[in-house]
Amino acid sequence: MTVVYNLKNVVKQRVSDDGIGFRLVVPDIQISAQENIALVGHSGCGKSTLLDMLALILAPDESEQFDLHPVGGKDDNIGQLWKRSRQSHLSQIRKRHIGYVLQSGGLLPYLTVRENIELPRKLLKLPDDDSINSLSRVLGIHRQLDKLPGLLSAGERQRAAFARALSHRPSILLADEPTAALDPITAQKIMAVVMEVIRGLKITLITASHDWAHVYKMELRTLRQESEPVADGRIYESRFSDG
Amino acid sequence: MTQLPSIIRLSFRDYSHEWRMSGCFILALASVLAPMLILFGLKFGVVSSMVHELVENPVNREIRPVGSGRYDDAWIDAYRARGDVEFVIPKTRALAATIQLKSETSARILSTEMQATDSGDPLLARMPRVPRGYGELILSQAAASKLNVAAGDRIDASLARQFQGKRERVHLPLDVIAIADATVTTRAVAFVSLDLLIASENFKDGRAVPELEWTGNNEDGGERVYPSFRLYARSIYDVEGLVNALEAEGVRAKANVAEITTVQSIDRNLSVIFWIIACVGAVGFSFSLGASLWANVDRKRKELSVLRLVGFKSGRIVLFPVLQACYTALLGWLLAVLVYLAFEHVINFVLAPSLKLERELCYLLTEHFMWALGLTVTIAIYAAILGGLRAARIQPSDGLREI
Repeated sequence: MTVVYNLKNVVKQRVSDDGIGFRLVVPDIQISAQENIALVGHSGCGKSTLLDMLALILAPDESEQFDLHPVGGKDDNIGQLWKRSRQSHLSQIRKRHIGYVLQSGGLLPYLTVRENIELPRKLLKLPDDDSINSLSRVLGIHRQLDKLPGLLSAGERQRAAFARALSHRPSILLADEPTAALDPITAQKIMAVVMEVIRGLKITLITASHDWAHVYKMELRTLRQESEPVADGRIYESRFSDG
Repeated sequence: MTQLPSIIRLSFRDYSHEWRMSGCFILALASVLAPMLILFGLKFGVVSSMVHELVENPVNREIRPVGSGRYDDAWIDAYRARGDVEFVIPKTRALAATIQLKSETSARILSTEMQATDSGDPLLARMPRVPRGYGELILSQAAASKLNVAAGDRIDASLARQFQGKRERVHLPLDVIAIADATVTTRAVAFVSLDLLIASENFKDGRAVPELEWTGNNEDGGERVYPSFRLYARSIYDVEGLVNALEAEGVRAKANVAEITTVQSIDRNLSVIFWIIACVGAVGFSFSLGASLWANVDRKRKELSVLRLVGFKSGRIVLFPVLQACYTALLGWLLAVLVYLAFEHVINFVLAPSLKLERELCYLLTEHFMWALGLTVTIAIYAAILGGLRAARIQPSDGLREI
C-alpha cells in the first residue's frame, strides 16, 4: 500500500521566554493510503498539534523528513515547502487532497449548510452534480441543507462539518476530536456513518481522540504516544510513533 | 468559481450576515465624517458667499479715477481690449452731464446727473436692455421716485446754456425704458447713451448738434478728450492689478481694495482654522476607522483561518477584510453625505433666511464629496490591508485554535 505520510524527526515546540513549554516530537511515522489511524492521548499531549501539521496548517520547527504522497497527487516535501514559505502551494495541496473536521465544526456562520459543503468543490471548480445531496442523505442532514449553521444542533453541525470535509473527495480526512462535544450515542452514530463513507471512498483517516474505548470499537490503528518532562522538567515532551 | 469572485461573495455574505455589527461600523464612520463635511460646507459656503457677494456687486469691481484727466478714445479702447477689464466707458465733464427732467406726474424739475452706458454695463446687468440713441434713458430708483414715473413713461428733458450772450434751453422727449433699483445707486442718476451724453456736452459748449437740430458753432473741436471714465474689473482679483496699471500711467485711482483684501484675509484665516480642525479630525477619523477595522479583522481571524484551511490563498484572504472595509467606507460615506445634506438644508433654508443671507450659507461641490469618498476608502483599505496581512501571516492553525 502507498505510504501517504512519511515523517522522521519532526519537531514542533511552544516554549515561552522563560524556557517553560511543550515539545512535540515525531521520531518516525509512516501512514499508508486507506489506513484509519487514531491519535489517542490525554488532553495537551499534542494530538491537535500533530493533526495540524499533517493538515499543513502548522509549520514544524524541525523536520528531517516530512513527505506527503497523496493518492492521485504529486509527491511533496512538506518540510521544504514550509521552509520556503510556499503558502500557496501548501494551500493547493490542502484544497485538493485534505479534508479537515475541527472539534467545533468550523462551519462559516454566514453560509447555509449547503453552501458550506459546496465551498471546497467550488474552489476546485468541480461540477454541480448530485454528490452534495447524496452525501447529505448518508450523513442524515439533507433536511438541513438550506439552514444556517446556527440553527443546527451540535450533532448536525458535526455531520455538516464531515460533509464539507468529504464533499470534494479528498484522499485524506483529518478529524480533531470531532465528537468530543456530543453525547456518546450521537457520537457513535456519527462515527459509524463516517467510517462507512470513508471506507467506501477509500479515504485515509487520521483522527484524534481521548476516548480509548471509542477507538477500539472503530478498529483504528493507534500511534504510540509517550510523554516525559525534559530540560530539568521545564519542557513537557510528547512523542508520537508507530505503535 | 475562481477564488476572487468567491472571496467577494463571501465577504459580502459575512458583512450582511453580521448586519448589526456592520451597521455599527457604518454609524461610527458616518458620525466622524458627517461633522467634517458640515464644517467644510460651512467654511466653503460662508467664504464663497462673501466672495460671490463681492464679485456680483459691480461696485466692488469699480475703479474710480481721482480727479480729472485727459483720456481719448484710443486710451478708452485700449483698456476696453484688456482681458482684466469687463467694462469701460468715458465720462464727460460733470457740469455738461447735468440734465433737467420733468414728468407729467410731478410738479418738480429734477436736475440729474447723466451717466453714459452701453451693452455689458455691469451696473445695469439686470436691465432688459440699455438706452440707445437720443430718445431713451434708464432712471435710478431715486430719480424715478422723485419724478413719480415708471418704466414706459415719457418724460421731458431739457438742457440750458449761455450762448452768444443769450440763455438758451432745448427740450427733448425721453422714454424711460427701465428703472434701476437702489442696489445700482442710491443717487438720482439718468443712464443714457454715450451719444446723448456727448450731444449734451457739445450743446453746453456752444456747438451744434445736427442729429437733434440744436444750433450752435459748427467748428470741429478736434479729437474729443474725456476728463474721466467708469471702469469695472472682470473680477475682484483683477482690481489690484488694474489700479497698479493705471497708477503706472500716472492715473491715480481708487477701488475697494481694502474690502477685497479683508475677504481674502478672512478666507485665508478661515482656511487655516478649517485645516487645523480638519487635520485633527482626519487624524482622529483615521485612527477611529483604522482601529475599528483592525479590531474587525482580529475578530474574524478564526473564520479567515477556516477559509485558508479549505484552500484559499493568503493574498485572497487579505481581500476579505479589505472588501468589507470598502463596504463600510462606501456606506459610511453615503450616510455621512445624507446627514450632511439634511444639515445643509436646515442651515440654508431655515437658518439662512433669518440671517437675511441671499446665498447659501453651507454647501459643497460634487468634487468635495468625491474627495471625502476617496480619503475614506483609502484610509479604510490601508487599515484593512494592515489587519488582513496580519491575519494572513499567522498560521491557520493559530487562528483556528485561539478562539
